[in-house]
Amino acid sequence: MRSYEGIVLTSPISLGYARQSAHGAGWYVGSVLRELLGATGIEKADVDGLSVSSFSLGADSAVALTQQLGLCVRWIEEANVGGVSGVLALRRAARAVQCGEAEIVACIGGDGAAHRSFELMAAQFSNWSIDAAFPYGAAGPNGPFSLITEHYMNRYGARREDFARICLDQRYNANHYPPALLGHKTLSLDDYLTARPIAGPLHLFDCVMPCAGGEGFLVMSEERALHLGIPGVRILAADERHNAHAEDPIQDRGGWTDYIDALYDRAHAGPEDVDLLQTYDDYPVISMMQMEDLGFCAKGEGPQFVQGTDMRFDHSGPAKNKLPHNTCGGQLSCGQAGAAAGFLGVTETLRQLTGAAVSHQVPQARLGLISGYGMVNYDRGLCSAAALLAGGDV
Amino acid sequence: MRKRLKLNRPSLRQRARPPRHRTASGARFSAANLSGILKLQHCTACQHIQYPPAELCGVCLADALVYRDTDNGGTLLAQSDLHHSLWEYFKRRLGDGPWSVGTVQLDGGPTMIVHLGPGEMAPGDRVQVFSHSDASQSAVLIAVPDSVDLRTREARRAIVLAMGLNAPAIRPTGA
Ligand SMILES: [Zn+2]
Repeated sequence: MRSYEGIVLTSPISLGYARQSAHGAGWYVGSVLRELLGATGIEKADVDGLSVSSFSLGADSAVALTQQLGLCVRWIEEANVGGVSGVLALRRAARAVQCGEAEIVACIGGDGAAHRSFELMAAQFSNWSIDAAFPYGAAGPNGPFSLITEHYMNRYGARREDFARICLDQRYNANHYPPALLGHKTLSLDDYLTARPIAGPLHLFDCVMPCAGGEGFLVMSEERALHLGIPGVRILAADERHNAHAEDPIQDRGGWTDYIDALYDRAHAGPEDVDLLQTYDDYPVISMMQMEDLGFCAKGEGPQFVQGTDMRFDHSGPAKNKLPHNTCGGQLSCGQAGAAAGFLGVTETLRQLTGAAVSHQVPQARLGLISGYGMVNYDRGLCSAAALLAGGDV
Repeated sequence: MRKRLKLNRPSLRQRARPPRHRTASGARFSAANLSGILKLQHCTACQHIQYPPAELCGVCLADALVYRDTDNGGTLLAQSDLHHSLWEYFKRRLGDGPWSVGTVQLDGGPTMIVHLGPGEMAPGDRVQVFSHSDASQSAVLIAVPDSVDLRTREARRAIVLAMGLNAPAIRPTGA
């Protein structure tokens, strides 16, 4: 695969997180664009590429937004791929800029949270969900993921205390990231274990809170960023798979295992070099699965790995092995803003690698790994994407 | 769909029913399963058993899927007791205790999410799957222990009755 040399990601924006919102997805996308321009001093007319990810645009499309927002672009993309939206957007936008099809691409994920909108989405997420998943208890994503979690626990001996390690350290991180919707609350092991049951082994703090929110960043040439005087982050390697391991009757691995070794090779790095990891945490078992498949430990060793690893942003936990993970609290503590949730790992990594995280800055953050996961068409998430990003001095 | 969800509001419904909405393929699955223990789509070109229902074979892509009686033996891979639902019918059923669902891999290949019927079943156990109409007149899949006799329509109907699946959930008085 050709390298992404000469391309940078800049100016992470996260805004408007709210449990319910009167604003539609267009408001979120437009507001992120306004903040992107404000943060960089770029004129709207200079944005010639637009990538939009949203589940709640309704009758609108990315093209409709160009008219509403007064944009004229020569490259456009609508990537409604949930938890891999951010990584897919950055890959495609980087190639567009590399090939000269656009100079500045705004990559934006945004979703509103109208009353009952989550229910509507869960009831009709895909044809196979409608016919073969939703009628069985109508639990939304909690249904399939409770079965995946139960199966993983039986097969590998994981306990709820192991999943708690992920949730508790993420909440600690969120306590230092003011926009996180649950950041004002602490979470103890006892809170976690005694929470009300939701589905099988899943209890309240294993489930994300659907919310509204917007996320975005810009993709441009290194030269352009230098000229504009804004810090950029380079893509060392990135890849994606869809519908990998279809032969597994229940999911306990994702497509990362197909390419992770090659990904590290292209970046001349290994898991031991990663300063911070952002996984897609729609459920803690999925984060654990990513840690395994991204090479931090072997399959089935996730429980021991999280017990022996401090995942706090500031290395303040007692465990010896340090791996800051979901350093702004992830979706479990920030809320799940629809397709924008698939951008959270990217924007957070950009904040960290440009030293802009301030209140929750990871010390010596140089190499970041972002993993995306998503799209439960029936019984499992079909998409798995990953990107290794480097700050200025790697 | 939006209208249907509106009717899912607790205050509006005396009699709540399971989700009725299906795609055209899902509706054909319900129609095919009006009789028999379990009918699934078989590909006449490559013998693949297709589930969830589809228009083309997911292996050879042939437009050659036909509904046939299917060996209903399988293995329970995972089970989950639901304590929370987005749908009024199940919310009311949850008042009597959690609703059990599971993942079954049929010996013939397909993996299916199912309602778990009465009887003890643990992951790894042999189970059998049958289809039956629910209170929305849609065919749904139900797994029961291997030892249960499913040969007669009456026996299958008794299981569905015991689960409350073929009756609407009545609004509790005073609610
Ligand atoms: Zn075939």
